[in-house]
Amino acid sequence: MASQGLDGGRPLNEVFTGRATRSLRRARIVDRFATGLMWAAALMLVAVLFAVIASLLIAGIPAFSPEFLFTPGTFTNPGIGPQIWCTFYVLFLTLLIVVPIGTGAAVYMSEYARPGKLTNIIRFSTESLASVPSIVYGVFGSIVFLVMMGLGYSILSGSLTLALLNLPLMVRVAEDAIRSVPGSYREASLALAGSKWETTRKVVLPAALPGLLTAIVLTAGRIIGETAPLILTMGTTISPNAYYSLNPLSTGETLAVHIWVIKIIGLPGVPNSQAAADGSAAVLLLMVLVINIFVAYFNTRLERRLRGAAPPPRAGGSKKVGT
Amino acid sequence: MNPNNSNGTPAANGKYILQADKLNVHYGNFHAVRDVSINFERNKITALIGPSGCGKSTVLRSLNRMNDLVDTARIDGHVRFYGKNLYDPDVDAAEVRRRIGMVFQKPNPFPKSIYDNIAWGVRVNGVRSNMDDIVEQALRGAALWDEVKDKLKQSGLSLSGGQQQRLCIARAIAIRPDIILMDEPASALDPIATLRIEELMTELVKDYTIVIVTHNMQQAARVSDYTAFFSVTPDRTGYLEEFGQTNQIFTSPQSQITEDYITGRFG
Repeated sequence: MASQGLDGGRPLNEVFTGRATRSLRRARIVDRFATGLMWAAALMLVAVLFAVIASLLIAGIPAFSPEFLFTPGTFTNPGIGPQIWCTFYVLFLTLLIVVPIGTGAAVYMSEYARPGKLTNIIRFSTESLASVPSIVYGVFGSIVFLVMMGLGYSILSGSLTLALLNLPLMVRVAEDAIRSVPGSYREASLALAGSKWETTRKVVLPAALPGLLTAIVLTAGRIIGETAPLILTMGTTISPNAYYSLNPLSTGETLAVHIWVIKIIGLPGVPNSQAAADGSAAVLLLMVLVINIFVAYFNTRLERRLRGAAPPPRAGGSKKVGT
Repeated sequence: MNPNNSNGTPAANGKYILQADKLNVHYGNFHAVRDVSINFERNKITALIGPSGCGKSTVLRSLNRMNDLVDTARIDGHVRFYGKNLYDPDVDAAEVRRRIGMVFQKPNPFPKSIYDNIAWGVRVNGVRSNMDDIVEQALRGAALWDEVKDKLKQSGLSLSGGQQQRLCIARAIAIRPDIILMDEPASALDPIATLRIEELMTELVKDYTIVIVTHNMQQAARVSDYTAFFSVTPDRTGYLEEFGQTNQIFTSPQSQITEDYITGRFG
């Protein structure tokens, strides 16, 4: 009787048992089921990540030795010292191009560009470029940088190609980071007679720094892991005279490319090249992990310094707050 | 003086520091504010009140050209500051805002230290020496110094809401404006924090001219010397219904609409 309906004219229930009605019980079962599904999905993600890390490290770490990590490969030693060096060098050169140009374009798109045809064209181009397969950039780079500009297979050709490949991602993520800076900061700055440029450089960009670092990390991960365009523009060997050279016009080979070479061609003279590939993969993974952890740590400290103990402000909040 | 202000306005007599004259604001095709004329008296608090959508915040933002930030906004009429129209082509918006500061509805300190929150605006305006003194003076002026003097390096966002708003007021007065515009400065604060802001306003008005937008009629009645009551036409255009001394507006309003509003019959 009591749970028959919610019509206004019914008499008082008079009895209260505290037990849930059938519909409430059913809702609770559905609720638990859905929660379980979400939980399982999240757990799976963590499990996959853990499995990848564990299996690569277990397979790769036995190959680690000072000769492996710090010396050039020979017919008897599968050393990857030059490849590690080259990976950092390419990463550095590429970021040197991508970060300023990408941030500049993102600032323009988020702070200066007025909505209109030109802005739409730029945005559409960026989106399109982001979805072009990386091998296409490799072909483009080999035409433009190797042949037309005469740079040949070189670290510079490879870095320029990777820069083009990663600019769209950098612009998009950096633009999101800059846009997420609350408009109230800009208003405050302008109300203090700050110019647009002062506002952008001294208020908006510092506030967007954590997001910009995230954009750089995402880009760095892709640079470190890229193979196809590098094979076409940088070559697949370390130039014999350039094991630890700074010469950007020498040929090079990043770790990712090195793994590909070992898997496809093998290392001449080295009996167990599989171990060298596993070791290289473990090093690559550790590099990415270290960069991520370092930036995450730096970001947390930065956020704490910028915001104090308080949680980040939420847009549009009209919560009552005390003195 | 500027030849443009030789049209009968009392620019030179010094009583009115700021004068809105037939101010009209459009956002695109929408006529937001119609024909608003108000004279703001020096070293007084003028409150702008009225129902939601009556254009009082729009008027406030037209007084230091913050509406420039809205691409579709168009302003007609004059806003004269010491007799000079702020919308003349030779007037620089940043220079306007240096002289006419603003405090916003939601406290919006920069994600910087308390010290840098104040020093930032001062540096932007070209002052680099005696910064410690300037910061201390500004914080004292905003009745915040005693609470924060030992933690100037902490983030401004680590303060409570009421302290954050006083930090924003300190930041505004650090660049020594003539006028402070306040857009519902206490609406996000609890009653005690609100009271402190109101006490602060009655202190500040000795040195500054204050224009405040508020939803809170008791607040307008408590702190302001003059009250401008705005209303809104059926096609949502805001206009000035009545302007006068605050106690006159609240005790013997001339207009029926004003009376209905302040007695709580609408709005």
